[in-house]
Amino acid sequence: MPQLGSFSLLVGLALSVYAFGAGLLAIFWDDDRLGETARRAGIGIFWAVTSASAALVWAAFHNDFSLAYILHHSNRALPVAYKFAALWSGQEGSLLFWCWLLACYGLVLRLRYKVDTRLVAHASVVISAVQIFFLLLVNVPAHPFSMTPGVVPADGNGLNPLLQYPEMVIHPPMLYLGYVGMTVPFCFALAALIMRYPGEKWIHITRRWTMVGWLFLTCGIFLGSYWAYRVLGWGGWWGWDPVENASLLPWLTGTAFLHSVMMQEKRGMMKVWNMWLIFCTFLLSIFGTFLTRSGVVSSVHAFAESNIGPYFVTFLAIIFAACVYFYIKNRSHLESEHKLESLVSRESSFLFNNVLLLVAAFAVLWGTLFPVLSEWVTGHKVTVGPPFFNKVNIPIALFLLLLTAVGPLLAWRKTSAESLRRNFLVPGIISLLSGVALVAVGVRPWQDMSYFYSTVTIMLSVLVAATIVSEFVRGGLVIARHNLSNQGSAWQSNIFYGMYQLTRRNMRRYGGYVVHFGVIVTMIGFAGVAFYQNTEKELGFGDKLEIGHYTLVCRSYTQDDQPNYSSERAIMDIFRDGKQIDTMYPEQRFYKASGQPATMVANRSTVLEDLYLVYTGKNPENGKPIIKAHLNPLVWWIWSGAHFILVGTLLALIPNAQARKQAAAQAARAAARQPVATGAI
Amino acid sequence: MMMTLFMQAAAPDRTSGSLLMFATVLATFVLFIYIFRPARAEHGVEKTRLAYLYERKEQTYENLRDLNFEYKAGKLSDADFTGMRDSMEQDAAALLAEIEDLEREAQSRRGVTA
Repeated sequence: MPQLGSFSLLVGLALSVYAFGAGLLAIFWDDDRLGETARRAGIGIFWAVTSASAALVWAAFHNDFSLAYILHHSNRALPVAYKFAALWSGQEGSLLFWCWLLACYGLVLRLRYKVDTRLVAHASVVISAVQIFFLLLVNVPAHPFSMTPGVVPADGNGLNPLLQYPEMVIHPPMLYLGYVGMTVPFCFALAALIMRYPGEKWIHITRRWTMVGWLFLTCGIFLGSYWAYRVLGWGGWWGWDPVENASLLPWLTGTAFLHSVMMQEKRGMMKVWNMWLIFCTFLLSIFGTFLTRSGVVSSVHAFAESNIGPYFVTFLAIIFAACVYFYIKNRSHLESEHKLESLVSRESSFLFNNVLLLVAAFAVLWGTLFPVLSEWVTGHKVTVGPPFFNKVNIPIALFLLLLTAVGPLLAWRKTSAESLRRNFLVPGIISLLSGVALVAVGVRPWQDMSYFYSTVTIMLSVLVAATIVSEFVRGGLVIARHNLSNQGSAWQSNIFYGMYQLTRRNMRRYGGYVVHFGVIVTMIGFAGVAFYQNTEKELGFGDKLEIGHYTLVCRSYTQDDQPNYSSERAIMDIFRDGKQIDTMYPEQRFYKASGQPATMVANRSTVLEDLYLVYTGKNPENGKPIIKAHLNPLVWWIWSGAHFILVGTLLALIPNAQARKQAAAQAARAAARQPVATGAI
Repeated sequence: MMMTLFMQAAAPDRTSGSLLMFATVLATFVLFIYIFRPARAEHGVEKTRLAYLYERKEQTYENLRDLNFEYKAGKLSDADFTGMRDSMEQDAAALLAEIEDLEREAQSRRGVTA
């Protein structure tokens, strides 16, 4: 099997070189047959890389410790799901997994070539170049099928305990699907620039690809936060860790692209901006991968230091140079068809939204790279911590929230004061009332900056929610009235049916509103940070710990021994107002193969707050267990918001009812024309 | 049960190794045939300015429909609506004029060829 894996990787590399070279020559010589062989070679890459990936998974399941990768990332007692996850838990395996995902995307791209044969041929050449790079990595510096030197041990070193959680089985594939997914819109964008593709059809083709990539990236980021919250045991969900930041960077530019691309579609504006946004999104995806894998920055998530850094730097430089070259060569093709007519317009709100997202991306990038840059310049590593990131990004996030409320209600081109009043009077009053209500329940925004930010976040979230509801209600009423005047049934003249029809007519727009709703739900969850509290205490049998309105009583401790780990667990009875409401079990595990400990957090989550318990270990002096308790308000909202974002993006991916009808009618017309055309020949 | 099965699985013997090698060679051969003997090849057509203008026309009409809907929903004042509609209609008229010119040109070229 290892030989099959190595052979498949070599075949994959050879095919990607052929797909690139033959594809390029086919474009220059206008040779359709050669182009077809290049396309098929691209499809062949998928089979070769699939076979290599299957060989590595097979080796993990069969405990083939003759492979160094399996020896270092698996062991006999490892549960099946984690053996599968071993594929992406180490440097070499995860790069192979990356290659496989890229091959999957490449396969779909090449199978859907009829959407625009010439454009796809160009995009296929670009994706082949990216495939050459990643396949080169897994064939040379990060070969997953390297053999274990000397005598093969009877058992492996096991998987990192931090990775032995169900969320960790899903989180990396999601994130990789997002990172790799951004390759496809990049390939189409560069292809469109290279061939001076007329019009915006390439954006229509890549819109879904971009949304899919963005959705996976979003899911990956949320799952990563959830994992950090539930596994690392520090009571937080985002620590501005370099690797977390690396995933946020392409997400920020990708989000900017998804918004500003609408201006290009609707009005033929911001073509240069959009082109560079998608270039930057791809470059940042690769840059994030470089950060995680090169050992440049230290992080809890990073892979061990390796020699693949220079490969990534070279690849990034080549891609950047190619983007700059083709931009300079064909920039006349990207001239805007219209100019910004007013600062109070939908266009300007998109522009401001983009500027803010890019400022946030730059701040995150600067803070992430600051330790490296400071070491280069001064010789001393100066680390930038969460206070810097929070100080810069919280105001930006609040402005973005304001634009989320304002943008959709502004008209294209320009909006008069009268239209502004019509659209914002009621949502504005509701938002102000929410601020008054917060003060009435005891929030004092003037006492502390964090309280101020939380209050403004909630007020702006209410403003966004009110504008979204107003959009649905107004649109639903128009359709309901229209149905009524066309003798529709009582059900069809109902506002809720109107809202449903409204969404079906423009899934992208109204799905987008659901995403915005998810964002505000998440932001409300973020606002809870100002009110987090925690306490830590040594607890013997029957000892009590007070936090907020909870009293925690330690009932007992238990020990357990499993094939993969041994564990100690506290049994904590939870009382509220003198009444027992629950029992919680914070745990600490010790993984035998790796010899590393890991915490299993006990969390009681409600809409209002999370009671989060961590068994932090024993006091070495008296042997008494130590329990740390956190009371984190509104965390439930963060994960709930993620669900709305997921549903909203899926809705936005569904074609509009009208577009589907048009496509069906076009297909019918084409079918009807076919015999005539054949007859004419 | 599944886990036990996996854990008890032995390394492949010589026969299964030979079978695997045969399957690999066969799969590589099939892949080679698939890639280098394509039955047919699609000819890509260069996108014309006319095709691009048709797309813009569709988009302009959609923008007009959106504008009309937003007006009916009460989001725009009368003055805003009239101003924007006039401006969009001018864009549409310019597009239609160019489409007409290009179609006439194409028709006359076809006439010359015939």
